[in-house]
Amino acid sequence: MTRPGENEVGQGRGSERRGGERGGGERRGGERREGGRRFEPPLGEALEALEAAGFGEAEVYAKRGRSRRLVLATGRRGASYHQEAGWAVRASTDRASLFTTATGDLPADPTAGGHLLGGLLDTDTADGLPLALPRPDAVPRAAARWKEPSDYETPLVGETEGLRMLDALERELISEVPKARLLGAWLEDGSSDSRLANHHGVAGRWRLRVAVLRAEAALGTTRTSLELAAREARRLGPAAVARQLADRLVAAAAESSFTGRDRAEVILAPALAARLLAALTPMLVGPGAAQRAAVLADPKGRLASGAVTVIDDGRLDDGVLAAPVDGEGLPTRRVVLVEGGVFRGPLVSWRAARDAERRDTAGGRRRQGVGRGVQPAACSRRASWRDLPETAPSHLYLAADPEVRAGELVADLARGYYLVAATAAPRIDWGGGTSGGTFRVPVIGYTVRQGRAQGPLSGVSLTGTLATLLGGVRAAARDLTFFPYDGMVGAPTLRVSGLELRARG
Amino acid sequence: MPAARPAHDATSLPPFGDHPFARLDRAAVARALSQVADRPGDLADVYFERSEVVELPPEDRPPGVRLRREEGLAVRLLRPAGTGRHRVGTGEPGSRGGETWLAARDEVTTDALADALRQTARVLPTASYPLPRIDPGPWGDRDGGDGGDDGDLAAPEVLTFPGAVQRAVRSHRAAFPAALTVRRHRRWLQVVGTGKVVPEPQAEGFYSVEADLPWGRWGGLFPSLGQAAAEEVAAALVERFRCRDAAPPEPFTGALVLGPAAAAVLLHEAVAHALEADLLALGGDPEAAVGVPFASDLLNVLDDPAAAPGPVRRESDDEGQGVRRRWLLRGGIVAEPLADARWAEGSEVLAPGAGRRAGRHHLPSPRSSFLELLPGDHPQEDLLADAEGGLYLAEAEGGDLDALTGTFRLRFAGGRRIEGGEAAAVVGPCEIRGRVADLLSAVTGVGDEARPGGAGWCAKDGQSMAVWASSPALRLEGVEVTAPGGAP
Repeated sequence: MTRPGENEVGQGRGSERRGGERGGGERRGGERREGGRRFEPPLGEALEALEAAGFGEAEVYAKRGRSRRLVLATGRRGASYHQEAGWAVRASTDRASLFTTATGDLPADPTAGGHLLGGLLDTDTADGLPLALPRPDAVPRAAARWKEPSDYETPLVGETEGLRMLDALERELISEVPKARLLGAWLEDGSSDSRLANHHGVAGRWRLRVAVLRAEAALGTTRTSLELAAREARRLGPAAVARQLADRLVAAAAESSFTGRDRAEVILAPALAARLLAALTPMLVGPGAAQRAAVLADPKGRLASGAVTVIDDGRLDDGVLAAPVDGEGLPTRRVVLVEGGVFRGPLVSWRAARDAERRDTAGGRRRQGVGRGVQPAACSRRASWRDLPETAPSHLYLAADPEVRAGELVADLARGYYLVAATAAPRIDWGGGTSGGTFRVPVIGYTVRQGRAQGPLSGVSLTGTLATLLGGVRAAARDLTFFPYDGMVGAPTLRVSGLELRARG
Repeated sequence: MPAARPAHDATSLPPFGDHPFARLDRAAVARALSQVADRPGDLADVYFERSEVVELPPEDRPPGVRLRREEGLAVRLLRPAGTGRHRVGTGEPGSRGGETWLAARDEVTTDALADALRQTARVLPTASYPLPRIDPGPWGDRDGGDGGDDGDLAAPEVLTFPGAVQRAVRSHRAAFPAALTVRRHRRWLQVVGTGKVVPEPQAEGFYSVEADLPWGRWGGLFPSLGQAAAEEVAAALVERFRCRDAAPPEPFTGALVLGPAAAAVLLHEAVAHALEADLLALGGDPEAAVGVPFASDLLNVLDDPAAAPGPVRRESDDEGQGVRRRWLLRGGIVAEPLADARWAEGSEVLAPGAGRRAGRHHLPSPRSSFLELLPGDHPQEDLLADAEGGLYLAEAEGGDLDALTGTFRLRFAGGRRIEGGEAAAVVGPCEIRGRVADLLSAVTGVGDEARPGGAGWCAKDGQSMAVWASSPALRLEGVEVTAPGGAP
């Protein structure tokens, strides 16, 4: 049986088996051995039952979780406690494949109980698409040994404690901006334990501890919201959240004197910088990313200023989604996507890398330039036991400069703007893959003169080419902050030149 | 122009068979629940749920068939505040309108119910009523009755539907790539509350279809799946195909005719959401909305879950409250907001029966189920003839309402110019936006033929639920049409 913190990934002879082969496993006392690897029950029994039913390729996944949710909203103040349990099977014969999930504990024989597994073998439901599951050596192993965080066993936030946090958030907001209203605040604190095994000898267990706070506030008819995540609810300080909400409300509700357009330097607060980075994930993550990045990069791969380093780290210290393995049981690691402005390669799964390799081989091509020699990474994430694993970053971030305080970036700005947040999602025009693309994002913030914030700024959009956005980053501060988007996305305060602010009509 | 939406289809959902909660000892559950609701005014309920989604993804995206099944229960206790039900945002304790507790479990067993009752109870009783044995039975036995592994899961109507759509598209003399995802959704519910009447078990089922096209996505809901649904999907996809490269219309203020499907989305966003008690409360007392002129006097709108297409028809809502034929607008004047038990408690104006929840892990809130816009007296030809130079917009991509400001937006992937009294040349994407009351007051004609169908997926409070409507076409005048997205 695998214990957390020990070898989490199978690397046995099972990796040499081909999909569609049957047998080969060995069973002892409820455990199953696969290529020298032991699967804890009932994972091993379930795999054996699937194999006996004719599934040559199979993966079993089981998850249990618990969470407490607190809410303070219009007409509602409450607490709830949730216990969740579910399992999933991905399996395939040589001519058909399926995905089936259900609540409760993983049964020792998932083919019983009418969960479709028997029916798929009928000719009329065969889709002709065998499923490929990863082998233990599908991605490079992590250089660093996984160290299990110590906070998994920390109690969930209590009902009274959590509601007091939300009450405090409302009080702090009103003390910052007396006419503000908290439309709602939602706090969820939870933990989960997932286990997975497949026929090739991949096996893993990972545990997560995640707290998410979402708050919506209004000042008159101006509305703003904020969503933050941490490993524990107790780390989400209501006073700091209230101040961020207040800053956004004041800037958004104020009459801005900005007209026309201006190309002065801008300071991007972490929330805005992270939101832009999240919008850029199509050029950093997935099979089409290298092509998008190639359009922006010079022949040496440079696509950003030297101040830009982008990393995805599935084992980030203190990361909300930190885990030894990804949603397919493969070992996570730190992957540098952009280093000192030079594109090193996108974050791609083993499957995308394999498909690209096959296409290149079939076409007799040899990839050149940006993205060549990309190594696959463990980057499959399961949103829940109901969902198939999807390629996604875990902790995607712009590296901080530990020597620079955010305040210094503002203090050094003679004339420009401090932009605190986006008021809607950025729009990216990728230029059809032939030009570098442009972006546009509605923002709020403050004008800055001689290093000091002056009047509020609203009703404006920040716009420019993607090349200018990436190439114009002059400095990064040390205040790296993560926000929950598709995975955790983080950025420090950035100073950027060359972009344009435009008044919105 | 897309084909008319059919009211019925030949191939219906397979029978629901034995309801998994039909043999539940509801009286025993109610007795146990009474120990949780131990103060005057307390409302408590137990929500039992079983659901299933069979999904056929596009043919090149394994795994090839997907089945998601879940069951569970939740115990909820509502304790109303003594005063100030609608005072919000003051920061004072009690200003939030009472308190709610919920305990949810991913299993339906006696032990799970006992745990959930204990966690929801504010005070543990010294002695408790015995709990009944709870066993919804195995999945495979329900419909097929053969006790086999796959008795009710053949879902042939799902498996054959993409081919039927392909053939229907070809009959329009069009060919283009379309990756179809087809799903069959079924849900079985039983709610037991502390009221005098325990509702009967409820079941609902429907189909959803999504298409990934090179020029965007399309989605539709169907109470049944057969040739008529395939024809409807094909017509919508072909219309998208024909609009794919069309330029957006120049921004203008003028006349529009919304087809029944687009009008259904308008009704859901601009009437139903705008009249939900919890959203009305963002601006003040929900009861104050009653009697307010809100729309053109041509608009008579109801919500009636009991009149919905057969497979999604309901007798009680997700709180176990009996549904009502509820007038939302009579002659354009607000008649009654949508409310659930929480908002109706203690009110002489708001009535429960419109509480909906996506599942046991969510709390209910007011939401429409099946909206009806009563037909007017204009044949569609007349609506078009009186909107010369305007746009005919058959289907809306989506819409949203900002309940705080009362502003509303409806997005369209394309449409047609109205020329010579007919829907003629195609135009590209556009949207209409404005204040809800202004937009609804701009209605100058209501079609004479209402068509029931899916209004789409509603994502209120992060709970995605199918909503349905029956609507005729609408003509609006003086509406501002802009490019999609407008500024930012």
